[in-house]
Amino acid sequence: MKIEDLERMKNEGPESLPSEERRKFLKMGLVVTGVFAGGSVLSLTSARNVYGALEGIKLKKYPYKPHYSMVIRQDRCIDCELCKEACVKTNNVPEYGYRTTILEREIPIGPDEFQREFMPVLCNHCNQPPCVRVCPTKATYKDKKTGIVMMEYKKCIGCKTCMAACPYNARYFNEEKRAIDKCNFCFDTRLSKGEKLTACAAACPADVRIFGDLSDPESRVYKLVHEPERVVWVLRPETGALPNVYYTKG
Amino acid sequence: MKKKLLLVLSIFVVALGGQGLFSNGLADEEEADYPTEPIVFIQPVKAVIFDHKFHVEEAGLDCESCHDDLFEQAAGTAEENDDFKMQALYEGKYCGACHDGETAFASNTKCAVCHIGVMGYNRMHKVDGEAEEKVHH
Repeated sequence: MKIEDLERMKNEGPESLPSEERRKFLKMGLVVTGVFAGGSVLSLTSARNVYGALEGIKLKKYPYKPHYSMVIRQDRCIDCELCKEACVKTNNVPEYGYRTTILEREIPIGPDEFQREFMPVLCNHCNQPPCVRVCPTKATYKDKKTGIVMMEYKKCIGCKTCMAACPYNARYFNEEKRAIDKCNFCFDTRLSKGEKLTACAAACPADVRIFGDLSDPESRVYKLVHEPERVVWVLRPETGALPNVYYTKG
Repeated sequence: MKKKLLLVLSIFVVALGGQGLFSNGLADEEEADYPTEPIVFIQPVKAVIFDHKFHVEEAGLDCESCHDDLFEQAAGTAEENDDFKMQALYEGKYCGACHDGETAFASNTKCAVCHIGVMGYNRMHKVDGEAEEKVHH
């Protein structure tokens, strides 16, 4: 299904959400509280005393160690784009592509009254990544240790099937590499060198991008996602991709 | 002699009166007039918008409300200060003098009302699209 088609879909409301969807998020330790934005965004809040278990794997914790994740505190984003600049510099991203970008929209807050809102987006490093499923050469894969969706450029034949499959528009074709390029949470450029944060998270002056290990109860990402009463959501949950980028406000 | 004195006096009076009128006119103009184009700050981050029109007409502020205690009238002066950051606003400086949650919405809320971002800045300066094309050709 195309993203444009999804956006045209009518909001069916939380009561009509398939129980399978509900169960998937319960398994991740989240409770569905509502559906909005044309049915393409689920509203979630953390469920207490529910342990993670994904797709039949019985687990008492998240499947990767470290289970890298990002929580985006959306209402704090001011589109200064220092994250984009840092990403481009760190990962040598060409002008025609991006590994992360900022979206903008006007949200209605009253009759004839709108408020600007910025939304950072990047690869969601899904637990069930559609891009990995469709890659004919296994050039893109889920790292067994960290859960990061990575690229092995040499294996990429540039068929762009992963670009079509990605629900988050997080991939571009890199002309110089002659391969698809994407966010890898700065694994090669920073994390593997001992840095704790991605370039974008480190560059953010407004503390929007919280990066860390979701399997570590002491981490900020864990605390934000599991904070009782905090509303946390993911983008395009209906794809069943089980993303690892969470959104929240406040 | 008497005539001449009168003439000198009258010139003096006219000049005085004229100056009086002139300065009164200027004062009136200053009361009502303000830069109609919004001010866009690009330091320390791109970009923050300040609209004189809204603050004068909707919020009912006078020039003296902000000038020259909070902001110098010369555009760009505040941006040169090292402390022109959100922290200063939280401490009641600059915009924070009013944007404290009582007089106006607090500085640590509704970020994107003032922050128009790089996208807003580019739109205002027509960096993308046709305008840029025209510059190139």
